[in-house]
Amino acid sequence: MSKKVAIVGLGYSSFRTTSQDVSYREMIFEAATKCYEDAGGVHPQDIDAFVACSEDFMEGISIADEYVPDQLGAVLKPVQSITGDGLQGLASAAMHVLTGELDLVTLSAFSKASNVLHYANVVSYACDPTYVRPLKENPYFIAGLEMNRYLYETGTTEEQCAMVTAKNKGNALFNPTAAYGAKIDVKDVLQSDPLFSPLKYLDKSQDLDGAIVFLLASEEKAYQYTDKPIWIKGLGWATDTPNLDNRLDGMGDAVYARLAAQKAYEMAGITYPRKEIHFAELDDTFSFKELQHLEALNICSRGEAGKLLEQGVFSKNGDFPVNVSGGSLGVGYLHEANGLQRLMEVVLQLRGEAGKRQLDDVETGLAFAWRGIPTATGAAAVLSSRY
Amino acid sequence: MGILERITKNVDNKYWYPENDTFPVKNRYTAGVAGQKFFQELKDNGKIYGTTCAACKLTFVPAKLFCEQCFAELDDWVDVGTTGILWSWTIAYKNKDDSKKETPTLLAAIRLADGLLVHWLGECSPEDVEIGMPVTAVFKDPGEREGSLLDIGHFKPVIS
Ligand SMILES: [Zn+2]
Repeated sequence: MSKKVAIVGLGYSSFRTTSQDVSYREMIFEAATKCYEDAGGVHPQDIDAFVACSEDFMEGISIADEYVPDQLGAVLKPVQSITGDGLQGLASAAMHVLTGELDLVTLSAFSKASNVLHYANVVSYACDPTYVRPLKENPYFIAGLEMNRYLYETGTTEEQCAMVTAKNKGNALFNPTAAYGAKIDVKDVLQSDPLFSPLKYLDKSQDLDGAIVFLLASEEKAYQYTDKPIWIKGLGWATDTPNLDNRLDGMGDAVYARLAAQKAYEMAGITYPRKEIHFAELDDTFSFKELQHLEALNICSRGEAGKLLEQGVFSKNGDFPVNVSGGSLGVGYLHEANGLQRLMEVVLQLRGEAGKRQLDDVETGLAFAWRGIPTATGAAAVLSSRY
Repeated sequence: MGILERITKNVDNKYWYPENDTFPVKNRYTAGVAGQKFFQELKDNGKIYGTTCAACKLTFVPAKLFCEQCFAELDDWVDVGTTGILWSWTIAYKNKDDSKKETPTLLAAIRLADGLLVHWLGECSPEDVEIGMPVTAVFKDPGEREGSLLDIGHFKPVIS
């Protein structure tokens, strides 16, 4: 990038599986307050613009943009809403700063999944009304189709997918924000309730409530707010066709991830991601997605991720740790805030603030998010503690 | 509740119940110029139609009015037959409300020309199913068809 953008503040509410005491706006207020405190006690009056990620259907409200300002301190300020994942929001917030007109920009996303009683219905409404919805099936069957095709094309096994769950739930035991940590093995996953074969209960991440807020700054202003700025080196995002009928290649391969990563690597000047990046936090909405995404992100070749996983390459002590935070399988599924949970772990690791799960000698990290069934949208960000 | 489960819905905490258990959003959706003709052929003639983009050498199924690759308008209608190959499949064990299905259903993505239809797979058991096998559409009787995806009752394996 021609100019640099830094992350100078991070705050998050307590992540919980239910939260009947607070509204989602109060959760964001908690996260925003902590973020501004983290950025040297900046007052929202001094912030130039705000980017918030949310979906209309989820909260039982409509025109969600109008619900954004107060909990971020953004009343009577420039506000932009992104109907998408937090990492798409990051791209937007960074571009705000890159205009050269704005020095400080807030970014937020949240999940209040415990208030959503019929999530499958929300997802159904995202499926084509004439070619998919008439079947009146639970739309997660699409995950079964995609997993089966991925295993078929790459030779990856259900056991290797199960190992992803075991690894991530194990990693989560070292993360105090994770709700789904557990010490389990491959057999537990294989014997769990079948959902949409070959997908099983423990192959799928479970819902979590939480809000995450970041503060971004121009390079001129970054050191006014922190002595540990984390630099955004590369960004990329892509959306494949929404039509299932045109996903011949996209049923077994994460084409959206391939394109998003190419763009982010190009911007960051990265040629060999596995060498030049030290760890990754990436989408594991379903266990197979972690492996499929690793391959699409060019961390390894197609069909290789399962084998490298077995060799321990992606373990927290391995050559290329993946989802040290626990990922969605271990931390929980934060809907539009998933990408910001990944970004949060990358920032904590690069700052050296990851506590018991701190990785040694990490300088550059990758965050990648997928918007989930039935979408084919992904966003990638490369971050570094080095200017 | 074991160590691997968590309460993830506030109603399950027995503090707050919704007044009813329905999802009240209703709306209409227009199938469009291409969709209209696609469903008309399905209903009247039991045929599956695609549209071909000569420049991209792709035949879209279901038929589309425009090519998503090169953005050309499409008007080259092709009868692609009613037999395709199984691109992927799954056994659905859960209903839409996440309750357990009494009888699990087989769902499939079927390749026809360069497109995919998602539908049920019937007249077979999971042991007989393999990606790559030919499957054919089983239509409802003409009098029962309404111009919908459900004019096809299901797909079934082609017995050779
Ligand atoms: Zn074309």
